[in-house]
Amino acid sequence: MKLKGENQKMEEKVLEILEEHCEEALDYDGDSMMEDGVIDSFTVINVVSDLEEEFDIEIDAKYVIAENFKNKEAIIAFVRRLMEE
Amino acid sequence: MLQSAFEKVIVIGYGKITGEILEYIIEKQQEFGYCAAFIEHEVHPFGITEKICREHQVTFARIENKKELASHFGSISEKTLIVSASNNFLFPKELVEKENLTIINFHNALLPDYPGRNAPSWAIYMGERESGITWHYVNAGIDEGSIIIQKRCEIGPDTKAYELAEQLMKLAYEAFVECFEDVMKARAVTRPQPLDGTRRMYRSYEAPGDGFFEMTQEPESIYRLLRSMDYGKSNIFPPAQTVMDGKKAVILRYRKIFGDLPERKEGFCYLPMGENTFLKLKYANVD
Repeated sequence: MKLKGENQKMEEKVLEILEEHCEEALDYDGDSMMEDGVIDSFTVINVVSDLEEEFDIEIDAKYVIAENFKNKEAIIAFVRRLMEE
Repeated sequence: MLQSAFEKVIVIGYGKITGEILEYIIEKQQEFGYCAAFIEHEVHPFGITEKICREHQVTFARIENKKELASHFGSISEKTLIVSASNNFLFPKELVEKENLTIINFHNALLPDYPGRNAPSWAIYMGERESGITWHYVNAGIDEGSIIIQKRCEIGPDTKAYELAEQLMKLAYEAFVECFEDVMKARAVTRPQPLDGTRRMYRSYEAPGDGFFEMTQEPESIYRLLRSMDYGKSNIFPPAQTVMDGKKAVILRYRKIFGDLPERKEGFCYLPMGENTFLKLKYANVD
């Protein structure tokens, strides 16, 4: 139960960060925000920086790839994996 | 159809500006009657140029090897404009001097200042309040060719290298659109760079302050160094280093924060920057 609540909180935070830097990402339902021009590499830098700060995690450059930022669900799953590590 | 001095326009580079310029070149293709092509020399993790080329049926070539690339350009026989936007390939003298090739390059500083690599970093590190972009013709020297157009922008007190780089790319696109017709008609009014042989060339292996700071430095100057090296996860520079409690440390993250001094936590350090303002450093000790 506690885990579910934490997950939900994490998701809300990720969405808040996305909203701050790229509101369009919240309504996007495709599978390549980058190719579809929803998010660019500079926005990714800001999102990564805020994710690190918010969740006190270090995101290695090798994970900053289009696949992990293809849509909001991918970003949430990515953060979840990092927090479980 | 507008009269054009070129039969072919090739874009080379990577990143956001390259994609925007490529799209513009494709859009103007019919108007000027040239054939557009793109060359990817450095692969970008978020590159979109291949997709743009595919969608518009424009020739896309990935040539990572420098010799192959030089040979590719050398084999071009048509009158060609090469647009180098965010590109780190240095055109050899024989290509620059080839009669059928004209090369224009975007440099992310106000030339003649800050030639070479990572200009936004150096401008921030040196405490400049202003930067800008230059489109110039390419000659045999590095960033020495005649200036076609320049645009300026401010550097704010919190501007990070990647933010400045982004701002400069926006300016570069605007400037490109502004001068494109004149370049295509070979009627751009240029001015030579005032070079006196003393300017410093910034190399790719150099980092501001050698990427190191002392904890005794003014927090503002530490903040400036960190901002100047900050390209997110691009790994353009290795993480900044210092000595913390007698041990070598790398800075993992930094941020200017406001409010009361937070409680001391392992791996974090807070440097006062003025009233209720701190520079928060997250660090890790290294051997």
